[in-house]
Amino acid sequence: MKKKNWNLILGTVITSIMLLLIVVGFFFTPYDSQQMNIDLKLASPSLAHPLGCDHFGRDILSRVMEGAGTTFFVAIGTVLLGCVIGIIMGAVTGYFGGILDEILMRLNDALFAFPSILLALVFISLFGSGKYNVILALGIAFVPSFARIVRSEFLRCKSLDYVRAARLAGASHLRIMFVHILPNILPVLLSSLMIGFNNAVLAEASMSYLGIGVQPPDSSLGMMLSEAQTYLFRAPWYVLAPGVAIVLLILGFALLAESINKKK
Amino acid sequence: MLLEVRDLNIEFHDHLVPETVVYDFDMQMQEGDIIGLVGESGSGKTMTALAIAGLLRRHDMKKTGQIIFDNKDLLTCPRSVLRTYQGDEISMIFQEPMTSLNPVMKIGKQVEESLLLHHKMSKEERKKRALEVLKEVELADPEKVYEQYPHELSGGMRQRVMIAAAIVGNPKLLIADEPTTALDVTIQAQIVELLKKINRERKMAVLFISHDLSLVRTLCNRVIVMKGGYIVEDASTEEIFLNPKEEYTKNLIAAIPKCEKK
Repeated sequence: MKKKNWNLILGTVITSIMLLLIVVGFFFTPYDSQQMNIDLKLASPSLAHPLGCDHFGRDILSRVMEGAGTTFFVAIGTVLLGCVIGIIMGAVTGYFGGILDEILMRLNDALFAFPSILLALVFISLFGSGKYNVILALGIAFVPSFARIVRSEFLRCKSLDYVRAARLAGASHLRIMFVHILPNILPVLLSSLMIGFNNAVLAEASMSYLGIGVQPPDSSLGMMLSEAQTYLFRAPWYVLAPGVAIVLLILGFALLAESINKKK
Repeated sequence: MLLEVRDLNIEFHDHLVPETVVYDFDMQMQEGDIIGLVGESGSGKTMTALAIAGLLRRHDMKKTGQIIFDNKDLLTCPRSVLRTYQGDEISMIFQEPMTSLNPVMKIGKQVEESLLLHHKMSKEERKKRALEVLKEVELADPEKVYEQYPHELSGGMRQRVMIAAAIVGNPKLLIADEPTTALDVTIQAQIVELLKKINRERKMAVLFISHDLSLVRTLCNRVIVMKGGYIVEDASTEEIFLNPKEEYTKNLIAAIPKCEKK
């Protein structure tokens, strides 16, 4: 009997719940996420406000829905940016090798040696904060890990017979790199994309927590966490809501990544 | 003269001490020839073949001599010129059919690759050509194979697909680098028959690399024996088998298993 892939099932369920929450939050939230109501300051969960209210009396469910959307957007942007640059860099270095490989990979190592948060911090202090600068800063910090994975896969693939056969058919370097080799490394790339996505969620959350990430009036999960810590004991639901949202977002993708790895 | 190789030396520079793997290789090939290149592992057969196919364009190796194909020296011409020959005039099949097809591309696409790169043809024309060659290499159901992925085919079928992909552009020279080594004996015989048929019908020259002298005997009209990077003997097949001059050739022939009554 075939064993059920629980990672895949659980991962899909969790991820789809979170995605549903985000997509719905994009068009509709139970309350206006900016609407303050001082009467409801730190109100505990009730039927009207399932997750309670924050220190300005804003509905936490609405804010989590919107914040998760922002976090998701930043994470996707970061991973895509890092991935595209990483693929190009890894493909060129892995395929051609030689002096270009040495130069680019040493640059890569230097970039890798910086803690990514620190690198992003420098970037933010130079160019200012905000959603798009966070994506740019984190995206660049994520390039090295993708470049390494892609490079090692290209190194493995370029001496295989089917790549030789493609060269012998008269295919150009670009065609061999992106039509013949790239589709073959997708499984490896996909699982590292998902792990990269998780790291990006965490990185965005910690940057917003430090106050250098997404700026008000945009809300993100990390920002909510940092606002909530003051009320940790008076209103624990305020901390729990964004915290659990981050955990679920990451858990879902981690399980999916794991299931892809297992399938290989 | 289709192909003339003069004084080919291949030298690797990727270690501290340069290592020469092929010395003073000379060869001539006419249109429609089938030449066998035999020798033990490490004797430089594959390196020679790769050099002729233009696949040894690396910076850490030195090659001297001339490889003249169609009045052009393939060893020194720019890569763009070389590419117009590769796949269209010269093609090659490899030893391992399990790895020589791209696992994520449909068979049809792979067979059509060299048509796509060298000829302006519509999608339908390419498909028609591809189906024709798939039929020519005696695959049972070309239409079905066209839509399949490599993992759905057996080793012998994959090798046939490789041959189809190699001959689709109607090249003048086909290099077969131990195409039968990874296959079992009955399939080996079929593949050799197929190569023979292609050679006969298309007047395609075949450079057949093998360490199996009995296959070479049934297929080739001339044999070049290599050892340690040098050509040991170069003569017609009859000459080699009836009247071998070198001790090494005699040993190789003696190594062919014989069917005898005890």
